[in-house]
Amino acid sequence: MMPPVRTIGILCLALAAGCAGVREAPTSEMAQTVPLMVESPPVGPLEPVMTADAVAGIEPVANAPTPPSKSASAAPPPAKAPAKISASPVAVEQPRKNEVPPPAARPAEPPLDVAALKSRLRETNAIGVFTKLALKNQVDDLLEQFRAHHQSGQKSNVASLRQPYNMLVFKVLSLVQDSDPSLARTISGSREAIWAILADREKFNSVT
Amino acid sequence: MITRARAAALLFSLAALLAGPAPAAEDVTLLKDLTSVIALLGMPCDRVVSARRQADNDHIAACENGNRYRVFMNAEGRVVAQKQ
Repeated sequence: MMPPVRTIGILCLALAAGCAGVREAPTSEMAQTVPLMVESPPVGPLEPVMTADAVAGIEPVANAPTPPSKSASAAPPPAKAPAKISASPVAVEQPRKNEVPPPAARPAEPPLDVAALKSRLRETNAIGVFTKLALKNQVDDLLEQFRAHHQSGQKSNVASLRQPYNMLVFKVLSLVQDSDPSLARTISGSREAIWAILADREKFNSVT
Repeated sequence: MITRARAAALLFSLAALLAGPAPAAEDVTLLKDLTSVIALLGMPCDRVVSARRQADNDHIAACENGNRYRVFMNAEGRVVAQKQ
């Protein structure tokens, strides 16, 4: 008598466990819908902090046109709202951290002048000794052309040096960009600043 | 004896392992450097595949496309690539 009772009991437990497993499926669907709601806040850079806290708050009453879409998706199931709120702050903060650093990193690099460019090229490990020497020769040659131009007193001829200058910058970039991308970015960003120094006689004489 | 033989074999293999990569990495760096120099000087060379050192700052570089260059520093301190 006992073994059949035990078997029936085990079967009932298994059935209950199976039913419990079926009920978990909607919660996983709920979890999938949460990112869809969360992805929209990062569009506005400052607002998401307010909206994440305001989902459960009072703001939907004040703003009629825009909030109803969010409040309509969040408000109707009141029992499910706490789960969404607990999940959203973590998911909202991560995109911000990913978005913020690139704009902050780019403007931090100041433009180089000729001396700084030379020292950065001397220090980098992206290019070998032979290449550095050859590059130094070519930079010196170009500087000599600028010096000759400024000493000759011509003002209209500076543009003719722009092409060799650009070519040299491109050569440097092609040498450096794979192994030292930050230096390549800095040089690329400093191209106009360096040209402004080289093209102006007084700045050129003060630098060299 | 077996333990000694095993230790010796282990030491030999370890020595070979440690001694091997250093020159190879040096070669790769030199080949890359020579490739960059030749390209910087405007000479046709896809990639330097081998190099033979003749003296300090003086190498014969063999390119993948068959060209050979002598890359050296001349008396004025300029790096020159001479086609051989």
